[in-house]
Amino acid sequence: MIRSWLARLRNALHPDAIGSEIDREMAFHLEERAASLEREGMDPSSARLEARRRFGNLGLQREATRERDLFAWVETLVFDLKYALRGLRAAPGFTAVILLSLGLGIGANTAIFSLINVAMLKTLPVRAPEELVQIVASGTGNEKSRSHFNQRLWEAFRDHQDALSGVFAYGSTGMGDLSLGGEARPVTVGMVTGQFFSVLGVHPAAGRLLSDSDDVKGCPGVVVITYEFWQGEFGGDLSAVGRTVRVNGHPLQVIGVAEPTFFGLGYGYYPPLWTPQCAIRIVDGAISRGGIVIGRLKPGLSIEEARPRIARLAPLILPGTIPRGLDGKEIERYLASRFDVEPFARGFRFLDADYGQAFLILMGIVGVILLIACVNSANLMLARATARRREMAVRLALGASRMRLIRQLLTESLLLSLLSAGVGALFAVWGTSVLLGFMGRRDRPMVLSLTPDLTVLGFAIGISILTGVLFGLAPAWRATRAEAQSSMKADSRGLAEGQSRFAMGKGLVVAQIALSLVMVAGAGLLIGSWRRLMSVDAGFKSEGVVVVSVNTHAAAIPDSLRRGVFLQILNRLRALPEVEFAAAADRTPMGNTNWSADARLSGVEGTRNVSLNLVSEGFFAAMQTRMLAGRDFDLTDSPTNAKVAIVSSTVARHFGGPAAAVGKRISLLWSATEATDYTIIGVVSDTRERSLDQGDVPAVYTAMRQNLFLDQFVRFVAKARTGTVGLSRAVGAAILESDARLSLTTRTLDDQVQESARLPRTLGVMGGFFGAVALFLASIGLYGIMSYTVARRRNEIGVRIALGAEPKAIVAMVLGDVGRIVTIGVILGVILALATLRLADAALYGVRSNDLRTLVLSSLVLGAIGVIAALGPARRAARIDPVSAIRD
Amino acid sequence: MARTRNDVLQGTLALLVLKALAAQGKMHGYAITAHIQYVSKDLLRVEEGSLYPALHRMTQDGWLTAAWGTTETNRQARFYTITAAGRTQLAAEEESWARLREGVQRVLRYA
Repeated sequence: MIRSWLARLRNALHPDAIGSEIDREMAFHLEERAASLEREGMDPSSARLEARRRFGNLGLQREATRERDLFAWVETLVFDLKYALRGLRAAPGFTAVILLSLGLGIGANTAIFSLINVAMLKTLPVRAPEELVQIVASGTGNEKSRSHFNQRLWEAFRDHQDALSGVFAYGSTGMGDLSLGGEARPVTVGMVTGQFFSVLGVHPAAGRLLSDSDDVKGCPGVVVITYEFWQGEFGGDLSAVGRTVRVNGHPLQVIGVAEPTFFGLGYGYYPPLWTPQCAIRIVDGAISRGGIVIGRLKPGLSIEEARPRIARLAPLILPGTIPRGLDGKEIERYLASRFDVEPFARGFRFLDADYGQAFLILMGIVGVILLIACVNSANLMLARATARRREMAVRLALGASRMRLIRQLLTESLLLSLLSAGVGALFAVWGTSVLLGFMGRRDRPMVLSLTPDLTVLGFAIGISILTGVLFGLAPAWRATRAEAQSSMKADSRGLAEGQSRFAMGKGLVVAQIALSLVMVAGAGLLIGSWRRLMSVDAGFKSEGVVVVSVNTHAAAIPDSLRRGVFLQILNRLRALPEVEFAAAADRTPMGNTNWSADARLSGVEGTRNVSLNLVSEGFFAAMQTRMLAGRDFDLTDSPTNAKVAIVSSTVARHFGGPAAAVGKRISLLWSATEATDYTIIGVVSDTRERSLDQGDVPAVYTAMRQNLFLDQFVRFVAKARTGTVGLSRAVGAAILESDARLSLTTRTLDDQVQESARLPRTLGVMGGFFGAVALFLASIGLYGIMSYTVARRRNEIGVRIALGAEPKAIVAMVLGDVGRIVTIGVILGVILALATLRLADAALYGVRSNDLRTLVLSSLVLGAIGVIAALGPARRAARIDPVSAIRD
Repeated sequence: MARTRNDVLQGTLALLVLKALAAQGKMHGYAITAHIQYVSKDLLRVEEGSLYPALHRMTQDGWLTAAWGTTETNRQARFYTITAAGRTQLAAEEESWARLREGVQRVLRYA
């Protein structure tokens, strides 16, 4: 057995040797047979012929014998590859178009797939991720409380459960600040219970990780840092262990570094600092609040087996853990909660939630572009194959089997697709980084370690091979169908060619146009949606507005003095010559913060959930939000005067309009027992606070001046008199003048707004880019097929001209041909577009996928492309010299 | 008119080649053809071309060994010899052929 393999290996390594051995062996056979026939009395030449006849197809048998040598296929492959490479070098334009278009297609697909892989498919890089489960309390109907356990519930669960080998709570991740004044350095802190790292099976790279003894009430505050933070902040210095990291000015002692693969509990969100939950008091000044409960199933236990064992805990532990401040109905609901177990192998799906839809639409876009590139390449291959018909016919006649030729042609297309995959790899690497830059938020940049794993690699190789077969098989089939005789005889000369000759090529161009139409229409929808979004009346104007977020943690300003500091800063800002209006606010539009409460409107049934903001006087002037009735806050709204509020027009509608709302009362319900009453003094127009496509949300603004105690964070907004040049710096300097320990994050409001529309923008830009690529490929396809058709019909056109056809008529004939192709393609494309683009509807703003204008415009664009692509060939056709055309 | 096919039945070529080599020792491809034709009194005729793929396959399966040698007429030819594995294979093929023949005969007789 081994020997035979060695023999094969030797054969493969010495292809020429074995080739000539077989030839010699067969030649010997033929000579012996001929000699024997001669002995029987045949004349030498007939004897040789008869010997050949009896032997059968010499070439075929020789090939068959060689094929017997395993590894011979390797040798054939090498031959085929060499041959294919020679062919490609001889046609550089053809090769370049295929390599670039397929490379772009494969690269883009790989790039998007690698994002989808991370967002939706990949499991966490921890020990046995499939054993991880999340415990949820369902039935309360409240999505937030569904996954969030209060501290007492978490403790009770931890102490009573018997299905998990280990369990931890993942608390709120606080936003902290590493700076000690000046430019803020935001950092996220993961707050977890003691068993976090041991349940995940994460090992330390230095020092030690958290344990239960670190997580006790009133703990001194220790922190485990990620490997990346260790490298970045401490240069990987081992002495980092034992040093302190200051978060919001509070010292946390570094006890260890997690191993390099650890990044957290969900792709796309990587807190570099991990503290025990007890540290929340230090970092946030808040009390410990339980969290999301994650555990590891006991060995051998399936989720199905664990489910009843977890579920049965609910009635046991819920009654003892009722949170304070719930009313009767809420308590009833709380007690009716049920526990369930969900797989957690992939961790939190942050990316899926934020970007999943965009990724899938992008996947659709690049999928279509790859199909278009395939069809285009198939068409080019077909044209080439037809030009090589004579070669194929000769080879068939010489005894090559059809499968052998198809294999040769498929080798060529696979070579092309694999070379394209190489080009694609470059596109993919470059494309993902561009895409991540486009899609990431500034305060939460998308840093994904997209090291291609086996799934992505398999995907890339898979689509490359599929691509090669897809665009190679049909032309190969078609090219080798040539009947040996007729092709050799009737090549290049003759009468008008039948339509069927081009049927396949034209069919491919029709398909290409149909796909391009879908692409262009899709791009039109995405771009239109984005433009509509950007021109939406958001209720405020972002031009010339700078937003400075101020964190006072490090400055350690006592609560009672904070208000004074803020008002003093406000005065400084208003004194700046560049500043037209300045104001302070708790939140700014598109600032990624939420604050809401239920409100009761006097004289109106029931409660409404309203969005809240705490603002100073001048906020609406700085934001250029229209005052519809009443007045803005002013200096008279002091803590000692009656509480006042300004509401948005959506709220005012409940009272019967802006004018009617002024003077009415509204009360904000902080909890079941706490509420504050306000008198409405003004009404402003609605603003889009969270995103441009959000729709009108009822909003209530209260006066910052009326609050004695203000939060550690505040935002200042400043509207420039002219342009924002230098404004940010002037405002920042003015704020630091009052206290250098304040830490600042400065952004223009415009940035914030643009960023909120980053997904529609990404989709629009990608759609536009790939739409242009599709059009370019469509024009190449059309140009190719028309040039080819004209060349093949040279004879016929010559005859027509000789018989008196005007050049105009010839041009019209060629254009008519293109017109038919384009029309059929466009009709099919519109049908296809109507059927498929619906999938993107959810991501579109202000336009639907069956938008007539977009479809008509796309059709016109493709028609124009068709005419442009056909003009050259048409003019060439009209200039054919009848004499030489007929004579040729 | 019924056509009598005396081409070697697919799958029996290996059996015939192995048997010929087992009986005759060393032979080259042409001699094997000639031998089968002679012994079967012209009833069986190997399609000569298809012999060589078969010989190469059997060599690679380890049933035969091949070596270049000189014929009586002093010409270079590739000679094949059966190996121990080839003899085992021959026994197996002979048995399966016997079974096939019996089966076919039964069908012809009784069906």
